[in-house]
Amino acid sequence: MLDMILSQAVNGLVLGFLYVLIAIGLSIIFGMLGIVNFAHGAFFAVGAYLAYALSREFGWWAALAAPLLTGIIGVIVEMTLIRHLYGKEPLLGLILTFALALLAEAVLRLVFGGAPVPFAAPKFLAGFVEYGPILITRYRMFVLVTTAAVLVAFWAFLAYTPYGRIIRAGSRDPEMVGLLGINLPIVFSGVFGIGCLLAGLGGLLAAPLWTITPSMAAGAIMPAFVIVTIGGLGSFLGAVVAGLLVGITTAMTIQFQPEWSGAAMYILMAAILLIRPRGLFGERWERFE
Amino acid sequence: MTDRKTTSAMTGLRIGRRGLLLGATSLAASRLGMPYIGNAAAAEPIKIGMIWAKTGSIVDQAEYLAQGGMLALEQRNNTLLGRPAEIVWLDEPNPQGAQQSAERLVGEQKVVGMVGGALSSFALAISSVAKKAKIPYVAANAATGDLTGKSCNKYTFRLQPPVDVHARILAPYCASIGKKWYLLTASYAFGQDIKRAFTDYITANGGTVVGADEVPVGTPDYSSFILKIRAAKPDVVIGGIAASDLTTFLKQWNELGMKGKIPFAEISVGNTDLWGVGPEAADGLYTITWWYKNPNNSPEEKAMAAAYEKKYNRPAADKAWMGWLGMKSLLDSIEMAKSTEPGAIVQALEGWKYRRGDLDIGYRDFDHQMTSRLLVAGIHPKITDKWDYFDVKAELPKTSEDLAKAFGSAGDSACKMDTL
Repeated sequence: MLDMILSQAVNGLVLGFLYVLIAIGLSIIFGMLGIVNFAHGAFFAVGAYLAYALSREFGWWAALAAPLLTGIIGVIVEMTLIRHLYGKEPLLGLILTFALALLAEAVLRLVFGGAPVPFAAPKFLAGFVEYGPILITRYRMFVLVTTAAVLVAFWAFLAYTPYGRIIRAGSRDPEMVGLLGINLPIVFSGVFGIGCLLAGLGGLLAAPLWTITPSMAAGAIMPAFVIVTIGGLGSFLGAVVAGLLVGITTAMTIQFQPEWSGAAMYILMAAILLIRPRGLFGERWERFE
Repeated sequence: MTDRKTTSAMTGLRIGRRGLLLGATSLAASRLGMPYIGNAAAAEPIKIGMIWAKTGSIVDQAEYLAQGGMLALEQRNNTLLGRPAEIVWLDEPNPQGAQQSAERLVGEQKVVGMVGGALSSFALAISSVAKKAKIPYVAANAATGDLTGKSCNKYTFRLQPPVDVHARILAPYCASIGKKWYLLTASYAFGQDIKRAFTDYITANGGTVVGADEVPVGTPDYSSFILKIRAAKPDVVIGGIAASDLTTFLKQWNELGMKGKIPFAEISVGNTDLWGVGPEAADGLYTITWWYKNPNNSPEEKAMAAAYEKKYNRPAADKAWMGWLGMKSLLDSIEMAKSTEPGAIVQALEGWKYRRGDLDIGYRDFDHQMTSRLLVAGIHPKITDKWDYFDVKAELPKTSEDLAKAFGSAGDSACKMDTL
């Protein structure tokens, strides 16, 4: 049994990293722009479909462009729609992004049809490795390493570059940053684009594991919201810790009470919010009080 | 006559100009206006309700089911009983949503019959509305036994063979591979029926169930379940997960290196579930209701498949056939009944027959279950055509006696059929 628990724990960690990748963009967009992006799952699905379409037309390597294209779509959406919501009633953002999510699903269905489309990982990532009772597939290890690299790179970008400092300052006090002569609208477009790029990357990496259908966003958006809520809205570290917690909790529930596996992360969220209503790493932000 | 004229003149009864105009207008209305009203009623379209998912985990199958249904009406030039006919298609996001859609179709759209219910739980919800509203309903996809078992009613007809029939056909194949089974089933009616049917079979035949997990609908990651299966070392894994959930499972089954190591079997899968898996990961032994490349398909089915491919630029999946045949049975029955009166349509549906191969198939009187053959199919070892995955091993049951036995008799049925 100990072998099985260890095996499930490692598997849960890997699953958690995939969830982190999906959730981190959501967390960034809320943290920097104050927008609860219900369309985040839609950008995840767009990333997966772009990966499918590009690989079908030009080969697997072309799929790597899918996150970038998703990010560009995100920038266009921010400049045309989201931008008008800053400083307005938060409900407007919820309604608009929810409508965007529905629109994106309808467009995907119109273009690609409702039936699932096939997408496989490249051959060099096929297969798995075993360390005693622990089994990890090469592809999941690739997902883990990619996610970790992206998280570290993004953290370093925010912490050590002038652009990162502008973004962090702008998220706390946009008026002051604007008064310093910095063009904040462009910065915010970039942040929204990065959030969407990360969602697209999540879609690309999940595509060989999950079913690519227009409604696949639903499977991504709920864990993402749970993770962001558990970690604390807008917290980078919180999203990482919460993602891993959700992954391990889900894996352990499957081992011992599989019929509860779908509800496990919600129970975890409820328990944590009872103890820490702002989430594990949630802070008090003057801007949102 | 003379007396009457005399009497009129004597009493001084006179028809004035205004009276004459009023009378003439009334006459014109009766002679010209009424036929106009009659024509308007005749031109009123006959509405057929269709409830297939537009969102959710079954939407990929529902698209084909809906397209098949619409094709059935188009093949009649969108007319019924000499009047225009139209399909009103509503969503079924969940069982409550399915029920509300059925109520809207009956209450607002005044449909004369309904087809739909992509998942068993949806079909049961629609069936309860059909019973209450006394509207004929054809469940073309749902497989739970309850629909034509303990929850049967006079207005509900079901096309898909129930889980028990699928299980009776596939279980002997699985038992021939090995007697240690692991069950991975969805946590709703369809999965629970599969769990019961296969557990009953293997325990009655000297085998064991080495593990059984119920999986929530829409599970995005099966790796932890697969690790449990791997540790249990079963001879066969029996699946009971539907649509895109099955697609996801098979992709991850392959990713974790299980394809070809432990055989996987499942009943009543859709062609699209496997098409979405991709040739690298597709694997398993299945029962399917129909396959567009089956040489035994009737000429009418071949014509339908050709029309579908021409219109949608892809082969007709089994679900397109099910949507088409379910709708066709309802439309045929309306024509047979020569009426849109629900009771007459129900009686026509009970008498409706359709030739498939050497059998006349139809809905049985005592439970309204359609009896038809199933295909047992594996997956081609090497897939070269992106649509051609299935390697059909058998079409069962072979004889009409075996068919009756597989579907069970009235005495075996839990259905207590009510009256009109």
